[in-house]
Amino acid sequence: MAVIDIHGVEKTYKGKIHALRGVSLEVHDGEIFGLLGPNGAGKSTLVKILMTVINASKVSGTFLGHPIGHRPSLKKVGYLPEHHKFPQYLTAIQVLQFYGALSKVPKPIRTKRAYALLERLGLTGWEKKKVSTFSKGMRQRLGIAIALINDPDVVVLDEPTDGVDPVGRREIRDLLAELKTEGKAVFLNSHLLSELEMVCDRVAIMVKGQMTMQGTIDELTRESTRFEINVKGEVPDWAEQTFDDVRGTTLVKHGDDTSQLQSLIDQLRATNVTISSIEPKRESLEDLFMRAVDYIDNPGSVR
Amino acid sequence: MTFKALLIDAYRQLSAAKLFWLTLGLSLIVVLAFGSISFNETGMSIFYGLGTIESDMIHEGSPWARGLYVGIYSNFLVTIWLSWIATVLALISTCTIFPEFVKSGAIELTLSKPISRIKLFFMKYVVSLLFVLLQVLVFCVGIFICVGLRIGEWNWAIFGAVPIVTIFYSYLFAVCVLVGMITRSGIASLLITGVFWMLLWTAQTAELALNRFSVGERVTIESFEQSVLEQEEELNALREKSPDDFRIENRQKRIDDMKEDIASAKDTFDKLIVWHEPVRIALIFLPKTGQTIGLLDRWLKDDSGFDIQAMMRGDMRSVEELEEFDSTTRFARKREASKRIHDDYSTRSLWYVVGTSLLFEGVILGLSAWFFCRRDF
Repeated sequence: MAVIDIHGVEKTYKGKIHALRGVSLEVHDGEIFGLLGPNGAGKSTLVKILMTVINASKVSGTFLGHPIGHRPSLKKVGYLPEHHKFPQYLTAIQVLQFYGALSKVPKPIRTKRAYALLERLGLTGWEKKKVSTFSKGMRQRLGIAIALINDPDVVVLDEPTDGVDPVGRREIRDLLAELKTEGKAVFLNSHLLSELEMVCDRVAIMVKGQMTMQGTIDELTRESTRFEINVKGEVPDWAEQTFDDVRGTTLVKHGDDTSQLQSLIDQLRATNVTISSIEPKRESLEDLFMRAVDYIDNPGSVR
Repeated sequence: MTFKALLIDAYRQLSAAKLFWLTLGLSLIVVLAFGSISFNETGMSIFYGLGTIESDMIHEGSPWARGLYVGIYSNFLVTIWLSWIATVLALISTCTIFPEFVKSGAIELTLSKPISRIKLFFMKYVVSLLFVLLQVLVFCVGIFICVGLRIGEWNWAIFGAVPIVTIFYSYLFAVCVLVGMITRSGIASLLITGVFWMLLWTAQTAELALNRFSVGERVTIESFEQSVLEQEEELNALREKSPDDFRIENRQKRIDDMKEDIASAKDTFDKLIVWHEPVRIALIFLPKTGQTIGLLDRWLKDDSGFDIQAMMRGDMRSVEELEEFDSTTRFARKREASKRIHDDYSTRSLWYVVGTSLLFEGVILGLSAWFFCRRDF
């Protein structure tokens, strides 16, 4: 079931800047969805529209089964903004209590949950310390705890690993996986492609306010699946016709059909060509991302 | 639940500010100074007995002692301390509340909660008045105890300052919020609110001065016209009785002088009205800060007339009873004008004083709320 299902989202600032140009996307329950895009692509604007922080110029669709902007449904949504600033005069527990109360979580539940979340995010012992004494990574963890204080069905995290050390990042990735197993949908907004590649079930790439690609990483990179055969010595003449691409001593065959590969290897060996290596290759998320950016800049280029 | 959370948060925010405790500490000093005044059989003592003032009129048990003590509270402590000094400190402390509230990074999280923007805005506004409410409440508790101990009067009307000063402060804070919402700057909010307050004070002071002058001229006209009628009657009687009486000429000259004074007063009055009316009308639509604070004096005044305002107006009953003076003398006219002015302001309805001011505040808050609801953060 789609927890987020939006179509044709448009946002124009002051009638001049087109931040979003007809964006559509779907996020399903129990999945981790990653939204990628370069700076200024409109990712945060889209997230803010979902969270009612920004009013869309045009939007249709639903969020948790309700129209975008339906405030009561936000009770079941957790959110971590990108450049968050928590009240510096509050302690970690007080911050969680405060945002829990704004999400209408009853006091006994939010108190119990607040301590449990701080423990889960490695902030045990910091419960009664002022937020002003927290490091950036700790604040980020606290922000994730805030996003989870209302036990949400959908968690929207804008750059959740920003400022977090490698150990912390791994813990956050594990946490996201746990949330997924709990049946929660996680909407991740990040520019850390490797992070997303590790955890996301589906991704969407946004460039200059447009959605250029959307799907599972497997679906999006399938086209780029290929075998690269590196040979020693001269490349036979027939290779140009048989292989999809010849780059120096590297012969490229698109697709993942291994039986076809076997016959090509046999053919090479029959003509006494020495094979030094055979590598199955697939586009990384970074390659995909660069391709998407390139496509928007040069619409005629191959997607 | 949301309101309670915002209220607790507001308290935590304020109590984390040094200025909150500084203001509270200064309030305590003011209360201690007030409590240092006491009365005995021969007069009064100040600074816990360090100085004594002997007086037949103001001593233990005299109505003037009560009038003086309660009057110091309502006319000086509330008017000067609470509505000027403490208000400035409160504005400095609270001018950043809304700019901080709508600051990028802070507002996103709050707006993503299941609460409407309009509700959020007004709840935040109300809890932001907590600073003043707490300060005035603590101050009033101190004053209540002092008055109770010093003159044996446990006067609950003292706590009238809590709503009055809070409402008075809210007129200014509404402007502070609007500027903060537009500029997102605490300094800009403070400066523009300060300028607005000064303009308001100038307009109110100008209105009071113009009103005082025009009432003074009206009193002159009325008292002289009355006197002219009486003098003319006496003159006619004198002419009938003895047409050659040497006093006729003097009396006629006096009547002519009075008529000249009446003409001159009418001329001045007409000129003053031209200025007074526009200022008076403009003030109908603006917050009446001075008159709002003045409400406390109405609630605390002694019905028998033994109050500090009466002392300041020269309107002490003992004096009035002794006097049988000519109503055309400068002193009598001044006293009558003073009384009329006092009656004019003290009988203005609560609707006029607070209602119209709250209407102004409502318009300003409506603008701010509209801005807050429509803005992209």
